Amino acid sequence: MKLYKKEGNIVQILSFPDENAEKGDYLVVEDNEAHKALIVQVIDVQFAAVSGMLEELLRTLSEGSDFIKGEDIDPLEIAPHITYIQDASLLVCKIRATLENDQLSPNNSWLPSRSQSIIIKLSVQSLMKLAKVDGDLPIILGGTKDSTLLTIDATAIDGTLNIITGKKGCGKSHLSKLLMISLVGYKATVVIFDLNGEYTSIGMTQDGKRNIYYDKIHTLNPAQNFKVSLDQLHLNVVMGILVHALHLPGTSAREFRRIWKDLKDKDKLTLVNLGEAIRNCNCNQHVRDALASRFHSISNSGFFTDNKTEANLLDESLAKCKNQGGAIVINLKNTSTVDRQIVVEYVLGKLVDSLQSWKLKAVFLFAEEAHLYLRETYWDDIVTRMRHYGIFTTFITNQPDTIQETIYRQADNIFLFNFTNEHDLDVVSRAARIDAETVKSIARDLPPQHCLTLGKVVRDFPMVTRVRSIDVKTMGETRLFFS
Amino acid sequence: MVIEQYTITTTPKYNFPHPTIDTTLSQRFSEISINSLKQVRINNFLLNLQEDNFTENNPTQIQLKRTPLPLTPKHQETTIVAVDSSTIKIGETPTGIIIAIRGATVWKQNRNYRYTRLGPFIFHITEENKKSIYSSLERTYFTTQNSSQQIPTLLQMPNRLANLLERWLQIMLAKNTNNGIILFDGSLIGGTIDTPTHRLHEILSNARRNKNTVLAFSKATTLRINGYLITERLPEQSTPYLLETTGLHFKPPTVLLGDVYVAKLQRSNMAFRLDIDKEIEFSERIEAVEKLLGNDVFQQSYPETLRLAHILCTFTANEVLAMQHFASSKHGIQIINRPDMHRLLFGPFGKEGYA
Repeated sequence: MKLYKKEGNIVQILSFPDENAEKGDYLVVEDNEAHKALIVQVIDVQFAAVSGMLEELLRTLSEGSDFIKGEDIDPLEIAPHITYIQDASLLVCKIRATLENDQLSPNNSWLPSRSQSIIIKLSVQSLMKLAKVDGDLPIILGGTKDSTLLTIDATAIDGTLNIITGKKGCGKSHLSKLLMISLVGYKATVVIFDLNGEYTSIGMTQDGKRNIYYDKIHTLNPAQNFKVSLDQLHLNVVMGILVHALHLPGTSAREFRRIWKDLKDKDKLTLVNLGEAIRNCNCNQHVRDALASRFHSISNSGFFTDNKTEANLLDESLAKCKNQGGAIVINLKNTSTVDRQIVVEYVLGKLVDSLQSWKLKAVFLFAEEAHLYLRETYWDDIVTRMRHYGIFTTFITNQPDTIQETIYRQADNIFLFNFTNEHDLDVVSRAARIDAETVKSIARDLPPQHCLTLGKVVRDFPMVTRVRSIDVKTMGETRLFFS
Repeated sequence: MVIEQYTITTTPKYNFPHPTIDTTLSQRFSEISINSLKQVRINNFLLNLQEDNFTENNPTQIQLKRTPLPLTPKHQETTIVAVDSSTIKIGETPTGIIIAIRGATVWKQNRNYRYTRLGPFIFHITEENKKSIYSSLERTYFTTQNSSQQIPTLLQMPNRLANLLERWLQIMLAKNTNNGIILFDGSLIGGTIDTPTHRLHEILSNARRNKNTVLAFSKATTLRINGYLITERLPEQSTPYLLETTGLHFKPPTVLLGDVYVAKLQRSNMAFRLDIDKEIEFSERIEAVEKLLGNDVFQQSYPETLRLAHILCTFTANEVLAMQHFASSKHGIQIINRPDMHRLLFGPFGKEGYA
């Protein structure tokens, strides 16, 4: 390989067919005289602009058809050399760091010698060693092209905002399950908003037996084994549900607050009493109607109960997870849009309460297709306020434009699967921790189950990995008619 | 780049369905080629070198008959064959030059084109080895030697070696083709520095013996009448047609072994000088051109078979790179670019090739 050109933080390297460099590979451009080296990553592979190529192709074009066939007598065997030149490629590489005295720095302001530099491939293992992508809590994501295991550290996910995105069927949920069970393995508390009920069997192996996580997975099905009684609710949580999920206007909210406090003071906070109080409320007819309609929504959701034996407290599940770790799967599969929002408001409100009161240290929240249940204002809340309480969110989506731009800009880690749509790639490339060229060039060519890992977990050295398989029962497959 | 390429004036080659190639040709070329490369003692070779062009003797009074000979394409199945060769300098060494040579033959039969390409052969030519290389190849391929001929200069060697290959291909075609039309690139002038009369005579005799007709097309001619090229200012006449020339004689030892015509074979603006073997009957000459018209495709009045032969033997820039890579990787010769003196001295005004 030979260094050909450098423009900004892009270098172009001439590579010959036997050198086998591909997109995503890392190379070291070593200048021995300067005692420095550039660490670059191949983001595109193009044909080298060899002069005379057009003539050569035009000439051979007719050989491929019935038009002209023939024989080449090439006693000196020059043909392989011609092929060698014709197949030369130009590697477009992004400078990732400078290596000097075994230390990496983001400096790319120097120019290595074009004639003297030696260019060699850098294995992922060596890169991880140089970049110190290691730690005491390893999570093996999968294998890289050179058969090295890409291992990230669980602490690199701690306190971070993560996004897992890619087009449908490329393995997003699989990776999120991998991360989730790895975190549970390290005794972390994980909460999952499971839109399609695909995490509910995560405690089972593929052949239906219990796996080591079985006792740590707590599946809560709203209106079934997950109900709450009103007296267990904090007023703020209820107000959140009414205002944000059920869009209760301000005046009516004030009246509701008064009714709630009155019932609370009398220790009569039940659904029946609340309904009665709203009916008998001495207030404007419109306010009463507004409160009555919200009450019906709450009561029809089946999520609230006056039977305390039915009420399964989220607090209890969280307490179970607190010491040995565990995952609370909120199964939103058979829940209507409004009920879903009620449940999510409740869970988030409870989590904030628990974290504020230090009942919980921190929680990892996995939210699939969050735009279907998160209200607008929660996005910013999650990435700013809730992060400080200790809610560390991972968004999983196949529609990257449903996640707000501010989320991308503040994302610490992005696990990117294949996208072919230019618009989707544009959205993802707004992430602050990565350059648009890398995202667009590499993500477009990722095979299924292959993920481009970007951000803090890989110390800002984007790496492509084939996500390893895990022995858990998968529930996220599309139901098919013809199979 | 710095590479200059010459197409040699001549043509033909050998047989159809399954042409039997004389394998000694490629073996000998290969042996001499490899030996010459091994003689590079200093492991550098330089690029860029200006070439000379050699000129032919001026002919005497030429006349062009203004009455065209009209032609009617004859579609009787006839094999058309063409040959061409090419040479290119791929670099220099302190003691000489490194050149490549390649020849190509194309034949059209039953509406299909087929080709055979021979080479490239790469030679390192020095003042010391040029004589032995040239003589050795000449001895191998031609029964008659051109002993009286002086040894070419170093810069003439690329063209001379390519010519040698092309003449050999022509003689092979003449021997192995029957009842065909053999297309040469160039003229039928013998007695020149690179084409002894007896060699061209031998080629034409062999062709005639096998009932072939040799038609030699010149892409460019220097023949003029009243100051105008013979291929210009042609009569307004429906094409295709030929115009005969008369009175064309060269000063000895140059000899014309063909009769010269101006061929305008299509309605395009292009016309070419066409040399047809003198020994062929007039009616056969006309018939041969008519068969060519009926059996080959024409672009700009130029036969496709000959055009393909030219295209197939021409070196492209990436082939030059490949040959430089071959010289470098197989024989350890490092390529060094010699500065372009025109550019160096005159900057943007220093276009290469302009004095």
